[in-house]
Amino acid sequence: MEAPTKIYAASTAAAALVAGILVAPSPASADFSGQTIEIIVPFAPGGATDVAARFLEKYLERHLAGNPNVEVVNREGGGSILGANWFEANARPDGQRVLFTTSSTANPYVLGQPEVEYDLAAYRVAYGLPFGSVTYVSSATGIATVEDFANAEGLIYGGIGAAASDLPTLLSFELFDVDVQSALGFTGRGPIRLSFERGETNVDFQFTPVYLTQVADTVEAGNAVALMSGGYMAADGNMTDRDPAVPDLPSVYEAYVDLHGEAPSGVEWDAYNAMAALTLGFGLSAYLHADTPEEIIQLYADAVERINADPEFLEESQQVVGGYPLSSPIEAEGPLRAALQPSDEVREYLINLLSEKYDVDF
Amino acid sequence: MEHALAALSELFEPMRLLALFTGMIAGMLFGMMPGLGGVAAVSIMLPFIFLFDAMGGLALLLGAIAVVYTSDTITSVMLGAPGSPASAPTAIEGHAMAKRGEASTALSVGFLSSMLGGLVGAVTLALAIPIAGPIVLALGTPELLMFALVGLYFASSMVGKDLAVGILAGCFGLLLGTIGPAPAAANFRFTFGQAYLLDGLSLTIVALGLFAIAEVIGMLAGGGGISSGRQVVSNWSTGFAVFWKHKWLALRGAIIGTFGGFVPAVGANASTWVAYGDAMRSAKDKSRFGKGEPRGIAAAEGANNATVISDLVPTLLFSVPGGPAAAIFLGALFSFGFYPGPRMVSEQPTLLYLIVWSVALASVVGAAICFAITPLMARLTRIRFALIAAPLLLIMVAGAYQSTQTLGDIAVLLVLGIVGWFMKHADWPRAPVLVGFVLAAPMEQYFWLSNQIHGWSWLVRPGVLIIAGLIVVPMLWKAVMARRRKLADAAAAIGLEPLLSAEDDGPRGTTTSRLMLAVLAVAVFAYAAFETSGFRANARLLPMLAIIPGLALSLFVLVREVRSFLTQRDAFIFDAWNEYPVAAMLLLYGIGIALVGLNLATLAFLLFVLVRFAGMRWITALIYTGVLIVGINGMFVLMRLTPPGGYFTSVNIF
Repeated sequence: MEAPTKIYAASTAAAALVAGILVAPSPASADFSGQTIEIIVPFAPGGATDVAARFLEKYLERHLAGNPNVEVVNREGGGSILGANWFEANARPDGQRVLFTTSSTANPYVLGQPEVEYDLAAYRVAYGLPFGSVTYVSSATGIATVEDFANAEGLIYGGIGAAASDLPTLLSFELFDVDVQSALGFTGRGPIRLSFERGETNVDFQFTPVYLTQVADTVEAGNAVALMSGGYMAADGNMTDRDPAVPDLPSVYEAYVDLHGEAPSGVEWDAYNAMAALTLGFGLSAYLHADTPEEIIQLYADAVERINADPEFLEESQQVVGGYPLSSPIEAEGPLRAALQPSDEVREYLINLLSEKYDVDF
Repeated sequence: MEHALAALSELFEPMRLLALFTGMIAGMLFGMMPGLGGVAAVSIMLPFIFLFDAMGGLALLLGAIAVVYTSDTITSVMLGAPGSPASAPTAIEGHAMAKRGEASTALSVGFLSSMLGGLVGAVTLALAIPIAGPIVLALGTPELLMFALVGLYFASSMVGKDLAVGILAGCFGLLLGTIGPAPAAANFRFTFGQAYLLDGLSLTIVALGLFAIAEVIGMLAGGGGISSGRQVVSNWSTGFAVFWKHKWLALRGAIIGTFGGFVPAVGANASTWVAYGDAMRSAKDKSRFGKGEPRGIAAAEGANNATVISDLVPTLLFSVPGGPAAAIFLGALFSFGFYPGPRMVSEQPTLLYLIVWSVALASVVGAAICFAITPLMARLTRIRFALIAAPLLLIMVAGAYQSTQTLGDIAVLLVLGIVGWFMKHADWPRAPVLVGFVLAAPMEQYFWLSNQIHGWSWLVRPGVLIIAGLIVVPMLWKAVMARRRKLADAAAAIGLEPLLSAEDDGPRGTTTSRLMLAVLAVAVFAYAAFETSGFRANARLLPMLAIIPGLALSLFVLVREVRSFLTQRDAFIFDAWNEYPVAAMLLLYGIGIALVGLNLATLAFLLFVLVRFAGMRWITALIYTGVLIVGINGMFVLMRLTPPGGYFTSVNIF
């Protein structure tokens, strides 16, 4: 276990007064042997992010050079902002402290929420794990195809908050120009699913692991109709590919092409593309201090490669996180930074939509 | 049935039993530590589940979950500080009994009711799987809203004699509950630009602040032990008899608790208060509540244990955790590759029964162990107050701090602690604050969701009407009975003293704490009113529901106290003056933690308090403080947390 040492900005003068040892940041090393890597999860234990972080723990220990001890530390609060702020103040460029988080941290950054103290787009990326999502409707709506969906009326969607992980789905409604009434304020996707089963809402999305284990049966039984997945990131960083976890479903992009005979474009698509990238493509991302040297990034890149080839990972990840391969920092960093810094047009569109339609104002 | 037996033999593998008992020991320890409950116990056990096989790992967590609400009784009764937020009623009634020298009765009623609650929870879990699905699905958002309202109504029985102050306290609780994000509009309320407040306040910290800090201040300032007389806690037979007398009440509490568990997000805290309120409403003599009434313990302890176990029902049936500890358990199930849901119930009945047996066994053995260790714990109560208060305070600070690991946790704990301390001396009821706080979020969330989904038509849903009957029928019944009694009394020409009227409290002077609280309440509500005016309409409703009556009542109380100060000068009491230095020291301690870190601040604070108030010699105080600081750092390491460092200190020196 790492000795609890902390270095604070204003500490240098006062430190002399206190009996203690100041531990300087350890120099960048060729591997992590004998070190402890702290994975900061800014959510409570037991949630999706925490489960994924703990699932990856043993693979990182096995495949990071030097077989470091990897420890998951939960620092929840402020809808993940507290943990990320803490990381901003306490990370060092030594690759030993990692912020592992979701779009809950990225969205407030993109939208410029005042409590945000972290500069996410400046951080280096260690590894990532994509999320997939599936949008489905109750068969009571009579909807059977995407075309029915685009023309449907009387749809009710249950969500947590417009600026939360609901955002891509809400943006996909805009893209298809479908009129959906949203009931926001649920405490989690689980209660939303129950509300859907009770028939209170009739359109919903769930992330793929949950969809496959909890909703697919309902679809099979004919009580719900799966419409589309959120998509999967193509090599160019756009969310245009089909989600490999649900290969029978079109992505939002494909569904749009099927319906309109042309690729989606314009600010609606750009906004969807950026937010879906943040929420799904980079669903879970591990960030490092902005000044982390290239050698350390390479250590993580090598580990990602080895983990993706580990047969045990391939088997277990199928069950725990939807079976997607880890994304490598080398490929992910560019598109992730781009998604974190959308064009002014997209930002403005998002802020306008959120404030006018969903009453969100930062 | 064969699955049940198969599961039992699966559980009786030595490694799995070992896991279960290890979990139980951890659960009991954490249950006894105020501020650290099931969530802390389970999250600390989480890294260790992989030492065992899947069944063993789950047993480890279940052992911890099942006993927390049994062992927290010990702290609540002996120290008056709730061992966990859901045992606040036990702290109220049990500690009052302990002060009368009836600790053993309070404890045995608590343990046995907890055991009963655990068993009812386990049986429910076993039976629920086939029947609970439809129940959970029948409860739509509007029905959940109605349950919250029923809870509030039941809770209204605990406002006490001074109606104005009791309702004011409830409004204050509601207001505390509105801090953070509004569910229906993207407004953050009363966050003062602090990221810390974006999620709202933690229940653990609110409960500790209101109840436990006040006890600690009193302990540090006062001398002697917890009970004036010697606590005899080996004579359990009275306790068994008292429990037997109230067994149906405990069972009713357990059933209320079970339903609380069915509904996600209605935790043990809410159902405990509902059960307590129910016990109070059904009692003929309400006046004994708050002064050491075993009925309150039976209902509350029956409820909290049943809830935490039936929290597993939605968890296993729908993968929707019923409470925070169940959420972590769900995460563990995922990690082992189990996906709870209707499919798991039919495909893996053995796993299901293994869970049932684990919690049942842990409930019974946990209660037995509690009986066994209590005589040891009781000796603690003969030690000088200050000696117990010191580690207690440290544990509470650690417990609060694990919530978000920022200084905000400690600041809120201490500020609410001072408020709770004033309330204790001013004789303002603290229970309504906690109830208002607990119910604010579900009430607001379910109200807006109901309206967004159903419009106003939810008001006439059959489920809503049936649950509304739970409020209206007893109300009418009460009104009819009161009218009859009035007529009878009138006939007998006996004027029935109007209940629940503040003015009839008889002439009394005011006290410093009453005056200060009244001023504070006016200031808080006035400020809140000012701030709320800038909110969006959807974010304004609930705060206004608290502020309008709160502001009016706080002005009324202020006028009342000022008037009695002016008219009865000689009856004015500067109360609790001997505790002011300790309270001030405690605030300084908080500032000290922010400046120089936990360890240095604790060193200075404890040395001063132990020498000054407990009359310890410097050298002894130094050794004792050193031991405590080492202990608390060990606990931080165990919890994988870093103790708070200060602004000026870079390194923790221990």
